[in-house]
Amino acid sequence: MTSPLIRMALVATLALAATPTLAQTALSDGQILQGLQGLTDNAPPISAEQMRKLVQQHMTQYPGEQLTRPSLALHLDKLPQINVQIQFRLNSAIIEPSSYGTIGAIADAMHNPVLLGYKFIITGNTDVTGPREYNLKLSQERADAVKEALSTTFNVDPRRLEAVGLGEEVLLDPKNPTGAVNRRVQIFTVGRMGPTPQPLR
Amino acid sequence: MTGIRILLAALLLAVSTAGASAQTMSYAQAGALLAKSCGPDITKFCPKVNLGGGALRACMEGKISQVSARCKSDYVMAMASIAKRQQAQQSIYKLCNADAARLCQGMVPGDGNLLSCLLEASKVVSAPCNQAITDAGYR
Repeated sequence: MTSPLIRMALVATLALAATPTLAQTALSDGQILQGLQGLTDNAPPISAEQMRKLVQQHMTQYPGEQLTRPSLALHLDKLPQINVQIQFRLNSAIIEPSSYGTIGAIADAMHNPVLLGYKFIITGNTDVTGPREYNLKLSQERADAVKEALSTTFNVDPRRLEAVGLGEEVLLDPKNPTGAVNRRVQIFTVGRMGPTPQPLR
Repeated sequence: MTGIRILLAALLLAVSTAGASAQTMSYAQAGALLAKSCGPDITKFCPKVNLGGGALRACMEGKISQVSARCKSDYVMAMASIAKRQQAQQSIYKLCNADAARLCQGMVPGDGNLLSCLLEASKVVSAPCNQAITDAGYR
């Protein structure tokens, strides 16, 4: 059971990150755009490689399947970000058609001049059900699938995107490690593209 | 298999000859249309392929004789509208460059600054540029 205080804190976090509610209400286009804009110079930089390393270190430091281990804290609160619920087929990286619109909405935001100059990291996260190594692999494949759909079907420049599977290591609700809220795709604005004159910004 | 290609080619031609004069659908709307009209067929005929990388399209073309008529036409429409929106967004620089130089002097490009400037100045922005902004879905 979650204490009211933790629930409140969670709700506050969700609101700040412009995340969907627990009922999986879809984000509006405006919320996606707002959530991903406003990268500042004082946000600590992070790369996909560093994220992968932190996950590996965490898995080495807290081996095994027992759930007493702490959730990995990536300290990315200062980066603009959104949490989205993308529906995948069970135990698969196949995106359900019901989520095509959501992926399109993310692409709309990335094509907006406000965000055109920026790069993003797409992370995949599972809950703790199933083996950790399997979850790590599945989450990478799911993040890759989102990246591929954005960069092919929806024309986002692939140089602006990186995909990282975080497995079950970074829980949104560590008190409820099997909760659906932990199964999510999270997108962070992580840096600027080099200067290019086109298109209009 | 050739049916959908011919249809697509015809639509793309229609798109390019119509130029950027009509409203375009957002990517979100195109994705939702695809899901609505083709979701059941995708789940039925192509459950193991993903949206990206051309895999879904290749699979659906392979099953074209079984795919519903509504999916066939809306699939083509969704893809054509994505192409059209991309075209509109890419044409903005060419169509708005002179307006930006004239109306947004000294403004630092980036973060949507030039677009904000042109949106504010829309009454004196050239008609083609205004139309391009609308077609790109930036208004």
